[in-house]
Amino acid sequence: MGAVNPETVQPSPLAARLSLIFTLLALLGLFIFPYGTLSHTGDAQALLQRFPSGLTNFTGGEFQNIPQVGAALSVGWVTLLALMATALAAWRRASWLWIAGLITLLSALVAAYLFGQSLDSAVATLTAQGVRARRIPWNSGGVHLGLVLPALAGLVSVFAGLSMRSVWWQRLNRLRPLLVPLVAIALAVIVGAVVVMVVQPIPNGLNRPLSWGELFTGKLDLVWYVYTTLFAPLSNLAGFFDSLKSATPLIFTGLGVALAFRTGLFNIGGPGQLTMGGIAAMLVGVYAPLPAPLLLPATIAAAALGGALWGAIPGILKARFGSSEVINTIMLNYIASAVFIFFIGSNTFTVLGRTYTLPFKTEGYEAKSDEFQPGARLDTMAHWLGFTRGEQTFVSLGPVLALLTFAAVYYGLARLASMAKWRGLLASALALLVGWLTWHTAGLPVSAIFTRSLLNTSLVIGLICAALVGFLLWRTSAGYALRAVGLSPAAAEYGGIHVSKNMILAMTLSGALMGLAATHYTMGGALDEYRLKANMPVGVGFDGITVALMGQNTPLGVVVSAVLFGTLDTGSIRVVTVLDHVNKDIVTVLKALIVLFIAAGGFLSRRITDPPPTALLEHHPPTISPATSLPDAQSSAPSDNTSARGPQ
Amino acid sequence: MNDFFTALLSTSFLVIFIRSTTPLLLTALGGLYSERSGVVNIALEGLIIFGALAGAVTTKQLDPVLGALAPWVGWLAGILVGGFIAWIHAVLSIKYRADQVISGTAINLLAVGVPPVVLQAMYGSSTDSPPVAHPLPLWGAGELKFSPPVYAALLLVALTWYVMYRTPYGLRLRASGEHPAAAASMGINVRFIRYSAVILSGMLAGTAGVFLSTGNLDAYSRNMSAGAGFIALAALIFGQWKPLGVLAATMLFGFLQALAIQLGGSNLFPSSWVQALPYLITILALAFTGRSKAPRAAGRPLD
Repeated sequence: MGAVNPETVQPSPLAARLSLIFTLLALLGLFIFPYGTLSHTGDAQALLQRFPSGLTNFTGGEFQNIPQVGAALSVGWVTLLALMATALAAWRRASWLWIAGLITLLSALVAAYLFGQSLDSAVATLTAQGVRARRIPWNSGGVHLGLVLPALAGLVSVFAGLSMRSVWWQRLNRLRPLLVPLVAIALAVIVGAVVVMVVQPIPNGLNRPLSWGELFTGKLDLVWYVYTTLFAPLSNLAGFFDSLKSATPLIFTGLGVALAFRTGLFNIGGPGQLTMGGIAAMLVGVYAPLPAPLLLPATIAAAALGGALWGAIPGILKARFGSSEVINTIMLNYIASAVFIFFIGSNTFTVLGRTYTLPFKTEGYEAKSDEFQPGARLDTMAHWLGFTRGEQTFVSLGPVLALLTFAAVYYGLARLASMAKWRGLLASALALLVGWLTWHTAGLPVSAIFTRSLLNTSLVIGLICAALVGFLLWRTSAGYALRAVGLSPAAAEYGGIHVSKNMILAMTLSGALMGLAATHYTMGGALDEYRLKANMPVGVGFDGITVALMGQNTPLGVVVSAVLFGTLDTGSIRVVTVLDHVNKDIVTVLKALIVLFIAAGGFLSRRITDPPPTALLEHHPPTISPATSLPDAQSSAPSDNTSARGPQ
Repeated sequence: MNDFFTALLSTSFLVIFIRSTTPLLLTALGGLYSERSGVVNIALEGLIIFGALAGAVTTKQLDPVLGALAPWVGWLAGILVGGFIAWIHAVLSIKYRADQVISGTAINLLAVGVPPVVLQAMYGSSTDSPPVAHPLPLWGAGELKFSPPVYAALLLVALTWYVMYRTPYGLRLRASGEHPAAAASMGINVRFIRYSAVILSGMLAGTAGVFLSTGNLDAYSRNMSAGAGFIALAALIFGQWKPLGVLAATMLFGFLQALAIQLGGSNLFPSSWVQALPYLITILALAFTGRSKAPRAAGRPLD
């Protein structure tokens, strides 16, 4: 999309239309949606601020010292004007669309900031009067849809406006793979919102039926409350650590599914492989008479091996007999759960009237193993990263500094050809040195609650695995073979790649990754004890599918989406304790919907998600053709392309 | 030991055997339509769950109004909901050309999440629906009493065979699964055939679910399908995508499940071994089926 003549450059009709839709929605939303939340009580009853003025009160209580949000409201008028300007710019496809969008975005952000300041100062006043933090209503406040939508519209308009310049067009183009996951999330969020509206009555303390307007506002606030609470763990360190704790097993299972996907295999056997990993880790971690330095790696390896074994079976069956790995992995899930019950459920079993004993189940009623030996336990992150100086607890910045050092040295020396051989080694050595020096000296002060977090170093194992999977798939010939089999088994075979061997390899590695997820639950003590326990949530094996699809089967994507879903899982616990009609499986529904919508390509046309190469469009640069003829130009070029590609 | 084998010849074992076979048979017949038309339907497990939930909840809600008629309406609801969810799978895999295994998995995941959300909202419990006053009636003589879906399943085997091999619709359906392009060139509306087949599969799986909840018991409970959808899928492969083959295969798997139930009560083997047995045999059966005669276009969208 080269800009031929900079004078006549203007946003494409699609970009302008997108910006216009968002802007009009935001204009409408500014008036009909709440502007901000002043308070949510413990039962999620709301006190809402409206724009341009007025309160909506669902609590039924009278409030003293309501925060003065006048400043935030007056900035709202600026936002309103900016939105109107943006709408005009989008309508006329003006080249200054991005400026108007930027002003909208900034003014909305300023209004949000001022709103937060007003709440903070109201809290400060009450604190000064000696009111306890839990009794101050304004702690639970924040911005609402009325202000968030203009910010969003501003953001969209900025990018829509900037996309007219070829530099920005190319930059945005590189983000195109994110489109389907993002649209899928958005659609799932909308469906989830409808579900919440249907199942949960409005938390109402008014002792009277609500008017239609209040009903509308209340339902909207309910949805907003649910989603903000789902993402709330990200707003503080303890919550973030909890999210990472939920994310850790998802990283493993997501990587496992992604690796199999890349080889064209679908591994739904996560639960079984995780279970077998757990059992193998238990056998080594509890019973192996090894010295501590050997025991830890041996236990980790056992977990991987247990999962690998369970993954290899369907791999071999597929390669040897051609039976579907989908059904076999599912069957193996059920068998693994039976094996688990056999090992942990009871100490005795009877075969044909003769009774045998098993040593694995610990004494007592609960089905769990004996404790892992101290040498087979993974450190908690808080203990590993944290240190105290005097009364204050710190989180170490050592790993961050070490990484920064590595990056600085490695890329800093990239220009020097003479250093090419040594820069990796040098950078690693320096990074290790910096890490060692700063581990217990440089840190961020945090509250001591953080040391209670059960987040453990299996997260580090997970991140290392992510790096290794990335390296394997894109930097080694073995990985090339795996991906070739995934793209086209026939072509790979023709190219001299042993297809069945690679299928077995992929399933084995995938199973090993799934098995490693068990390190989090057993060696890491994520379930409060360093044991193999019956309540190990093996369903994370299925969640791995969602994580992998969301992360586009790339290691980085898997890590990011694992953190996202870990956050949702953590946030859902809070939602459920407050709203009695919402089940925590609403998150499961959201995940399923995301898979559904990603499978459907976000209902987007192929022209948008997978556009033809620009070379084909070169003859129809949209910047020159008038608005009316453009759709023809765009639709004709891709259709040539699809026919050239032929049936798939 | 001898007691055990005598038990296998008793009428009560026959009852268990037929009750274990019915949901597998209904679901596998459903899968037969879908896969012979060229759409892989791994969503069967989820469709059973949706059918079971819809059947139980509808029956429960209509009990006070309709009385003994309620379970029949509940059955209808199970069929409709099963068909509707299957339609989603059809839209995704036919119109949006989604990967059919992923689309099916999404529906299975949905079937994990939706029941707790619905049950929590309606009854305040996340795992079970309250028992219904009128489950489906039991027809038959003496000990051999079964609810109507059992008889429906047997009739459907014959009906499916007739539809598949003796009607134009069946011929078109098989053509769509073997060579959709050729079928389309002969003027067959492949899309319509596939939509109808997938929806039919959902209706049958929904019926299987209704049998599990109000036909066999009197309420929905979590994990009540216990992989029946996947075993039915395996039976479909083992039965080589043919109605009579499917009947034989589901009878084999149903027998194994009944055996597991009987063994579970007998104390001859640990119950965990016995529970794993049907799944283990399924894997073995699939391995011995070998590279089987799957509909050639199964899993591939029509361009």
